[in-house]
Amino acid sequence: MARGSVSKGGLGTSAMTGIRSSLARRGQFRFACLAGPGALFIVVALLLPLLAIVVFSFWRTESYELYADWNLDNYRVLLGEPAYRIFFLRSLAMAAAVSFVCLVFAWPIAYFIAKHGGRYRLLLVLLLAAPFFTGVILRITALQGLLGPIGLVNMALAELGIGPVGMLMYTPLAAGLGLFYLFVPFMATAIYLSLANFNFELLEVAKINGARPWRAFVEITWPLNAIGTAIGLVLVFIPCLASALTQRFLGGPNATSLGMSLAQQFGETGTWALGSAMGVFLFLASLAGILVVRRTIDLKRAGFTGALGA
Amino acid sequence: MTAKRLGWAVAAMGVLLACIYLFLYAPIFYVIYTSFAADIVWPFPPAFSMAAYGDLFTSSLYGDALRNSLVLGLGSALLSTVLATGGAIGVLRHRSRWRGLALGLFLTPLFVADLLIGISTLAFNARVLDLPGNMYSAIAANAIPGTSFAFLIILAQLVRYDWAMDDAAMVFGAGPVRCFIEITLPTIWPCLLGAFLIGFILAFNNLEISFYNLGAIPTLPSVAWGSLRFGLGPELFALAAMVNFIVFAIFGVMYLLMRYKIVRFGYRETL
Repeated sequence: MARGSVSKGGLGTSAMTGIRSSLARRGQFRFACLAGPGALFIVVALLLPLLAIVVFSFWRTESYELYADWNLDNYRVLLGEPAYRIFFLRSLAMAAAVSFVCLVFAWPIAYFIAKHGGRYRLLLVLLLAAPFFTGVILRITALQGLLGPIGLVNMALAELGIGPVGMLMYTPLAAGLGLFYLFVPFMATAIYLSLANFNFELLEVAKINGARPWRAFVEITWPLNAIGTAIGLVLVFIPCLASALTQRFLGGPNATSLGMSLAQQFGETGTWALGSAMGVFLFLASLAGILVVRRTIDLKRAGFTGALGA
Repeated sequence: MTAKRLGWAVAAMGVLLACIYLFLYAPIFYVIYTSFAADIVWPFPPAFSMAAYGDLFTSSLYGDALRNSLVLGLGSALLSTVLATGGAIGVLRHRSRWRGLALGLFLTPLFVADLLIGISTLAFNARVLDLPGNMYSAIAANAIPGTSFAFLIILAQLVRYDWAMDDAAMVFGAGPVRCFIEITLPTIWPCLLGAFLIGFILAFNNLEISFYNLGAIPTLPSVAWGSLRFGLGPELFALAAMVNFIVFAIFGVMYLLMRYKIVRFGYRETL
């Protein structure tokens, strides 16, 4: 039917624009059918609850009940209490350090899988994800069993006469190692997914043109896969900033984190309003972290065809 | 000379990968080893016993917890894979001025920590909707990050997908649904499977989101969390060991399928 009207009206007439707009409308409709449910789901299931948290953070809790009298006390407590400031700075430093170390380790392994994994690439990536089949608590307990005072590492060292290594027991370093353990697969997978779409022939071109491998990496591989790096950093930084379990089990007394304190407000102490304020704070800190990532990493060249277009 | 040096670099990366695998699996092997130990608090020197496995099958708590975890994992993975597939195809295929917004919404959960998703959905359900903890809200809440992960995985694969094949099918009169089932699906199923699998793993073992949404319904992580007070039960180690045996068996089968090129899992020789 649409085709018929073209032949009657000829090109460049109102009939053509009519078809174009009806095609566009159909595209819009299909887009809404495909992406609409997911987008709506995110709005209802995630954004509304987050909005609720923001509202509650201005309320007041008394004996486990929320009362809607608007005030800023929660934020005053949060900013005034030195303990909270220490928890926050500690979490921030930990998240930054763990993200960096994950980045350094994840790049070579993701690169190896993408370039040299051959037909086993998918299996090698899934091997990175498979530890997640075992619960976080169990894995952390097992790490504790390996690193702890009566763990395998220290027992072996004791047998050799070196004595237990204090650094691995209930210290921030142990907590950092635990976080690295939990999150390095995320970083590696994100970088791998980017590299899987990377055209490695570009490196051959660079080589032919006389670039050393290192220079080819800095000028081609890294910038063109910046999107993977950025997503990896976000995937590691955000949960590390909020993490509570790892510090609780591995960190000892000097590793109390923002997440631990936040979980406490919704658990033992039941101060939901203060907890909500901490949640808002955590979210803002996460956003700040993301902005830093966006600033540092140039995403403009990171398009999948960036080099070809430029 | 450069080739030789590059060879060294590749070998070094391979060794690093092996070390990371070793590091990742050391605690898993420890769990498996401990599940056979007679005493889980002092597992060294080794003394073996199968008591944990016997206790596991006689206890009903772990059976319930495993069933709940499976329901949660499958439901959440299904929901997130369906939503993310639609989202990824919509964003890549159809032009719309809402495209940027949809892309942003699908990626938003990545910027929100699990703990924050857990407490905010708890606060919303409990105080706004007046809803007690239940399986459906836990499935929905777990599907939030699941959708983002699935979206990323599917998007990364679909970027390379050639939509001309679909257009061809449409020209020959196939409807969008038939076109998806007969043309798109056979090409992209490995990445849908990957997205489903990731969604399943994340929801199956999630503690921070599930804990706040499930109320008193036990799942494996919440049972583990609850039993921590008295020390982890050896049954949990036995259960985790069995899950890992199944995973290793699946990987073994996958390896054989790949080794003898029976299934390619999306890999193309020319790439």
